[in-house]
Amino acid sequence: MADHFFTFSIITLSLFVVASSGGLESELVADLLTLQAESKSGVIHLDDRTVSKFLTSPRTPRPYSFLIFFDAANFHDKPELRLRELRREFEIVASSFITNHNSSNTKLFFGDIEFRESQSSFQLFGVNSLPHVRLVGPTAKSLKDDSDVMDQGDFSRLAESMAEFVQYRTKLTVGPIHRPPALSKMQLGLITALLLLCLPLVAKRIFAGETLLHDPKIWLSGAVFVYFFSVSGAMHNIIRKMPMFLVDRNNPNKLVFFYQGSGMQLGAEGFAVGFLYTFVGLLLAFVTHVLVYVKDATAKRLAMLFTLLVSFWAVKKVILLDNWKTGYGIHGFWPSSWN
Amino acid sequence: MAAPETSTAAVPTLYTYNTLRNAFGGVLSFFILLLIGVMAFSIRLFSVIKYESVIHEFDPYFNYRVTQFLAKNGIYEFWNWFDDRTWYPLGRVIGGTVYPGLTLTAGTIWWLLNSLNIPLSVETVCVFTAPIFSAFASWATYLLTKEVKGTGAGLTAAALLAMVPSYISRSVAGSYDNEAVAIFALIFTFYLYIKTLNTGSLFYATLNSIAYFYMVCSWGGYTFIINLIPMHVLLCIVTGRFSSRLYIAYAPLVVLGTLLAALVPVVGFNAVMTSEHFASFLVFIIIHVVAFVYYIKGILSPKMFKVAVTLVVSVGLAVCCAVIAVLIALVASSPTKGWSGRSLSLLDPTYASKYIPIIASVSEHQPPTWPSYFMDINVLAFLVPAGIIACFLPLSDASSFVVLYIATSVYFSGVMVRLMLVLAPAACITSGIALSQAFDVFTGSIKFQLTGASSNTEVDAAETSSSTAESQTDAVKTEKPEETAKNRPSRKSKKKEREHGEKPSTKAKAEKKRLLALPLESSVISLLLLVLLGAFYVVHCVWAAAEAYSAPSIVLTSRSHDGLHVFDDFREAYAWLRHNTDVDDKVASWWDYGYQTTAMANRTVIVDNNTWNNTHIATVGTAMSSPERAAWEIFHSLDVKYVLVVFGGLVGYPSDDINKFLWMVRIGGGVFPHIKEPDYLRDGQYRIDSQATPTMLNCLMYKLSYYRFVETDGKGFDRVRQTEIGKKYFKLTHFEEAFTTHHWMVRIYKLKPPKNRIRGKTKKSKSKTSSTTSSPKRSGTKKKNPWQ
Repeated sequence: MADHFFTFSIITLSLFVVASSGGLESELVADLLTLQAESKSGVIHLDDRTVSKFLTSPRTPRPYSFLIFFDAANFHDKPELRLRELRREFEIVASSFITNHNSSNTKLFFGDIEFRESQSSFQLFGVNSLPHVRLVGPTAKSLKDDSDVMDQGDFSRLAESMAEFVQYRTKLTVGPIHRPPALSKMQLGLITALLLLCLPLVAKRIFAGETLLHDPKIWLSGAVFVYFFSVSGAMHNIIRKMPMFLVDRNNPNKLVFFYQGSGMQLGAEGFAVGFLYTFVGLLLAFVTHVLVYVKDATAKRLAMLFTLLVSFWAVKKVILLDNWKTGYGIHGFWPSSWN
Repeated sequence: MAAPETSTAAVPTLYTYNTLRNAFGGVLSFFILLLIGVMAFSIRLFSVIKYESVIHEFDPYFNYRVTQFLAKNGIYEFWNWFDDRTWYPLGRVIGGTVYPGLTLTAGTIWWLLNSLNIPLSVETVCVFTAPIFSAFASWATYLLTKEVKGTGAGLTAAALLAMVPSYISRSVAGSYDNEAVAIFALIFTFYLYIKTLNTGSLFYATLNSIAYFYMVCSWGGYTFIINLIPMHVLLCIVTGRFSSRLYIAYAPLVVLGTLLAALVPVVGFNAVMTSEHFASFLVFIIIHVVAFVYYIKGILSPKMFKVAVTLVVSVGLAVCCAVIAVLIALVASSPTKGWSGRSLSLLDPTYASKYIPIIASVSEHQPPTWPSYFMDINVLAFLVPAGIIACFLPLSDASSFVVLYIATSVYFSGVMVRLMLVLAPAACITSGIALSQAFDVFTGSIKFQLTGASSNTEVDAAETSSSTAESQTDAVKTEKPEETAKNRPSRKSKKKEREHGEKPSTKAKAEKKRLLALPLESSVISLLLLVLLGAFYVVHCVWAAAEAYSAPSIVLTSRSHDGLHVFDDFREAYAWLRHNTDVDDKVASWWDYGYQTTAMANRTVIVDNNTWNNTHIATVGTAMSSPERAAWEIFHSLDVKYVLVVFGGLVGYPSDDINKFLWMVRIGGGVFPHIKEPDYLRDGQYRIDSQATPTMLNCLMYKLSYYRFVETDGKGFDRVRQTEIGKKYFKLTHFEEAFTTHHWMVRIYKLKPPKNRIRGKTKKSKSKTSSTTSSPKRSGTKKKNPWQ
């Protein structure tokens, strides 16, 4: 009997404690919900003050987890960090989570911290590299040591892998990711309207046989452009997301335009060589099909001189560049008595 | 355009002279073509000269084995062949899953030679099939280019194709793969299409369908043809070039070609059911509608025609909408929208890298960089734009096809480096046109200046060496509408004019054109530079054929200061298996070596390079990534007697199993989730030194690769990874070393027989392995007592 009483008193006691702290906590949660509603994507913008209010001051276990995206506006223009893209994906995860739970889930909140305005929070979390996403669980005492960092691998598939990370760590389901459509309804309607308007005009011109399609010049320039586009390896640049140039590591003022090694190329490099490939061909065509009909002998001579010099230089340049880049020693097979 | 005809009619002596010249030109072209064929064949023999007459790489071994079977058992047996030597215990229906073109071709050649009492072995025939077909391909290129721009361009294009490195890479002697015959089939199909388009003959249209059938038999790349030709037809219709010849060129191809394609077992109903073929049917409908409209237009008065148009347009639109709706419904009902992953990644280049890592991972599916173009088509890259422009001056049905071909193929090659092979013929054709026209212009200028400069002024001179380009371009400039109208019907006169125009003739003064020549000295220099460019191309191609593309990869060589080293470990290992194991023993290895093992060792394998069953591959991957005991259980359950691993650490052979190991882990983990990639990586890095994870150091692949490795140099230094291995001294419990080749490149292990079930012993081993993951198969022997 005494035993029972003891248990009972403990339960009531702990209930009391929970209730008293519960008042403060529910206030915090209500605050967070309003902040979340105010934000467009559902990501709460945190600064040093709010970090202490929502994360450092409340006693653990807090009634919520916090997934925080560390942002730095001054690094947004660095493409290799992909901050903008990741932030957008983060917002998609946040808004999907909120819509999937009808804004009623108070177990997980999404926040972001900007480097310039909240440097001490960055120190508090011990963040010294970006991109950085951290999950502060309900029981995390020290923000630096007890919180979970999202790995590079969890960014890789963007919103989907971030959602998996959340599900894995918090046991909360994010649900399907709602991406905004590529075109808004307004734009879509406008485009359809425009198309409908153009349709009779286009049809009329097709029947009349005087569209752009009937102009060989369009086809010619299209074909040459496709050729230039492909031989410059632009597809490689798009698929691998290669930058146009790199900054030299040893000397930040110097830009690297040419990358040694045949498996990879930089954007500018590809376009330069692609241009040389195409340009020599165009010059040859110019000589065989246009220059022959020029009457002025000196103009002809000068043009020929120009063509010859430029073509020779371009071909030589490409051969040298290729030898340098691939490292192949291309050589002839001459009779051994010649050596 | 008809100028030469009138001139020949006017002057009879000239006529005989011209026929003589034409005959001479014909004989000369014939011998040039013969030489081109010899060159195409012989430039591909470097692999035989430098190594030996041996089949190369992996897939060719399978084709070789199939051909052997065909030669031995005949066509019907081949068609119904169920192969039980591979994918044990599943097996594989070979007859229904291969493109039979190559095999049938080589088999026929072998049969023909043998019936002529020329006793060549099947292997020899297989080795030399590719070079022979390269010669055919260059002749086909000649025919195709001749249809487009005349004999000169044809000969140049054929010579370029005979040695284009991209094509050499797939057709050296010994490279017995589908592409070897498929490129010939591709070019020949295009030639017959153009020929039909130019002549309107149903005979060529039928031949075209048969050539298409051969292409379908040979290579999956036939979808390129069945999409490119409809595209061209559509282009012709849209630009107002519809003609009955176009109809004859296209309609029989679709009907006959599709019927024939459906005869090939591996294609079957795919020929009508997959999206790759839908374009052709859509265009088939369109061309009928257009033909009908033209027919109606012909029989009705213009006023009646207008009435009819409104009628037809309203009815036709309804029908079209219905058909399109049905098509869309059909396409949408399949999960990938009816497109295969590879085709999709061509349309949307980022598709594969996003969704299909296994396609994205293959090295020949990577997007190429600019040096790849220089390596594979070399200086042709400079000439192609000039050729494209030449095709537009003037634009005929045939030349528009070439433009379409080069534009699509260059785009596709930009997405996948493998499709450079399809680009190569197009690049050769356009470059051939460009080169031949440039030569025409320059030599013409020189000849004109040397002979006529003294008597005539440049401007008034009747051009003596009218090249096709010049005459045609001139015609375009002055009388364009007339030219396009004449261009098509007067094939014969045009042909004559071309042949006539090939060789400079001082007699053609009747052509009162104001053609001008280029300055003498610059023409000479340009000519020299062009020849230099050509010479560079030849040097490059010979180098590529000799050094870059001739290695058979089954025999390796390395040149060091003390001479040439030959590494013949693969054949050594396969020969060992053949002679020292039982005929029905099963050999497990990673799938790369499956084809070679079945072909050379004649032993049953678990997985091979035809990666049709992912689960089976994952099982082998899991076994390789598991600890010894678990691996032994997996292999034992598959009846495996021997395990073969390829190890390059001693001689520095980089494409060995340790370097492929992460793929085994990934593929294994994809099906069996207890294999996790991070367990094998230390901080995201793949390493095998002392920092490696315990899972890595205990997995079967590590153990089989590095067993007794430390005995070689005392340190266990891996020359591929450039590091000392992490675990040097260990013993194998469930495997025993059966054979290691001379350079340790192939190591073969035998599974130890299952232990006798002595009570004490099983208990002991159970307690030992309880911490590691043991397969649930053995759980029957474990009597687990939860109360103990």
